[in-house]
Amino acid sequence: MPSVALKEPQAGQSGARWPARSGLWGATAAREEARLGRWLVLPVAAVTVALVIYPLVLGFETSLYAAGSTLSARGNFVGAGNYAEVIKDPATISAALHTLEYVGICLVLQLAGGLVTAVALRRAFRGRGLMFGVLIMPWALPSVVSGVLWRRFFAPDNGLLNSLLLHLHLIHNAQVWMATGWAIPWIAVVHVWGTLPLITLILLAGLQSIPDEVYSASAVDGATPARQFWHITLPLLRPALVVAAIIGLVDAVTIFDEIYVLNGIALNTSSVVMQVYNLIFVQADFPHGIAFAFLIAAFSALLAVVALIAARLRRTA
Amino acid sequence: MATSATTKRRAFGVSTVFGVALLLAACATSSSGQSPSGNAFSPHASVRGQHITVLLPYPVSQKILKQFTQQTGVTLTYETAGWDNVKAKLIVANEAQTYIADVTEFDWSFTGQFGGGGWSEPLESALGPTLIKDLGNVNRAFDTKGHTYAACYSNDYRFPIYNKKDFAAAGIKQFPSTFAGLASALNTLKRSKAAPYAMSLPLGATEGGVTPWYLLTLAMGGHLFNDKNQPVFGAPGSPAYKALQFEITARKNGWISPGSVTLDDTAALNNFEAGDAALMLAAGPGNLPLANDPSQSKIAPNAQAALMPGVSGPGGSFGLPEGLAIPVTAQHKNAALAFVKWWLEPKIQVELYKSAGFLPCRISVLQGLARQGLLQGSPAALQEISHVEPLFPAGTPIWYSKFDTEAQELINAANRGTMSVQQAIQKLSSDTAKLAGGSGS
Repeated sequence: MPSVALKEPQAGQSGARWPARSGLWGATAAREEARLGRWLVLPVAAVTVALVIYPLVLGFETSLYAAGSTLSARGNFVGAGNYAEVIKDPATISAALHTLEYVGICLVLQLAGGLVTAVALRRAFRGRGLMFGVLIMPWALPSVVSGVLWRRFFAPDNGLLNSLLLHLHLIHNAQVWMATGWAIPWIAVVHVWGTLPLITLILLAGLQSIPDEVYSASAVDGATPARQFWHITLPLLRPALVVAAIIGLVDAVTIFDEIYVLNGIALNTSSVVMQVYNLIFVQADFPHGIAFAFLIAAFSALLAVVALIAARLRRTA
Repeated sequence: MATSATTKRRAFGVSTVFGVALLLAACATSSSGQSPSGNAFSPHASVRGQHITVLLPYPVSQKILKQFTQQTGVTLTYETAGWDNVKAKLIVANEAQTYIADVTEFDWSFTGQFGGGGWSEPLESALGPTLIKDLGNVNRAFDTKGHTYAACYSNDYRFPIYNKKDFAAAGIKQFPSTFAGLASALNTLKRSKAAPYAMSLPLGATEGGVTPWYLLTLAMGGHLFNDKNQPVFGAPGSPAYKALQFEITARKNGWISPGSVTLDDTAALNNFEAGDAALMLAAGPGNLPLANDPSQSKIAPNAQAALMPGVSGPGGSFGLPEGLAIPVTAQHKNAALAFVKWWLEPKIQVELYKSAGFLPCRISVLQGLARQGLLQGSPAALQEISHVEPLFPAGTPIWYSKFDTEAQELINAANRGTMSVQQAIQKLSSDTAKLAGGSGS
């Protein structure tokens, strides 16, 4: 029988003496623990396979076949043909350009707005708890519900926006906002309204991890608040900014609910996910729709990886 | 060594996961899905005690639905969702070959896709030749590949309905029969301010929003497709061009609300019923009873049907019948068939017409309603039937959804001003020609 060294309890510890994790006994215990861990994880893994991996694989397989003469019967195997057709489709290019516009506007508004809000909420003040509650509310609302609310705001005939701008004489006629060049920016604003709380919380967590002593020391050296923000807050907040940017980016790429509720499938505001919806749920063209969905997922993942690598390179530089 | 063993275990684990998933996927695709069976129905089987679900876009009074349960002993869940949403749900359920309901909506536009795809049970044998004959030519919209896939429950087609009180206030004694007369009437209505807007016209990127363009093209003496389902609307100056130009002109002249480019047909009808417009150009027989129902409409009882204007007299219209179908995935097909037959009983057809506005398709029922003077909008609504033609002379093709989606988007884009009329029509024509496998004109 292998000898087992028993650890004497340290000062302050209980009197129980546990076998040290060394030797054959330690390796057996580690294996047992690993085996137990695998069994415990098995149910979740099974659910993940059934609900995530299996549909992904089935979907990918479907995307390799042509739509065929009937929609429920597999057509010919076309390999990457559907992917090539989707990339070349003018509707895809238009939707992709619109999506870039959404991403650009959303990222700027989310990061700037989130940073300003996080800085404002960093210090304790009277009513801070109430402000938090108000801040969270847009995030708590389902995006479809908030889209319906905002639709009233933008309504051409008697919406709040038109009424306000007409009253202030900033416009002379009621505008159909979703039919103008302002449609995408306004939809982006509605989207940011719903996601700003999450971004703010991420940045606030990052701000609160910056020690106060750093600011105190810089103040002693004569740093102004602006310099503190630029030379202390922003650099130390970079990891949180990267996380917020990645989350905001992926969220903006997959924008759908606000577009659908505010403007339906109209071409002037179509996004890549809207185009996937059109292909799959309206035209029942599953192979092309799934191919497009995989392309979007791959592109989003690539953007996230590039952002992470860029952040790591900056840190090591 | 430990690291290598761990890496090998991880690689094995991941491979196993994907292997299992691949195997499941292969099993899923190699197993045969359900398809229409010749013997789906057993006429003498008892259905008492069964429960079915019906999915349609329009609500029906529970008082009427209870009669079905009392008569057959079959209990019922009646589900509704917007028309576009019902279509999306049916597509997903049918593609996945999963149960969604025992009786479902089957629009004329579904025939190629749903019937041709084998998603619905053929009904011609189950309904019988007498009933099929009584459903008339309008039910042929649900025929494809030698089978009938639905039974018509709503004899829908398009014609204008107007508020006769607003027209009288504007001094217009008769509804115009030509487009020139219509333009004049709309200007008069606008000047008179009898209603906030002269006309309610849905122009949103939805099924209801593209229907006016289809209607106007036919009314202006044109067609969208020939008898081989090839597009024939691409020539500059064609009725299709003029139809789209009319819509744009309506917005520019202030005949319709600027927000019309975001409206679907339900919202446009609501605006008309609220008195916000004096005329709804692309209405249907079902809209008239509802517009004259004081519990639902502020303009009741002033809604009146009119013949669709044309170039030099009444213009053409097209049929959009809707039917009841039984999916191949239905769980209680005999009970579902009992529901369809019950719905088509003359007494029930009359009750549904009065309460929900479904104009019957059965010729015998229509004749009975006309004899009793119960057909709202007659004689105009009945006269319009003689001008109704199918949008697809050769039957709705399987690619109709793709064509319709693109038409919704492009016609809407032209109405919003982001595309010219020529760009929109040309693109739609060339893309449709590719779908149809021809050159287009």
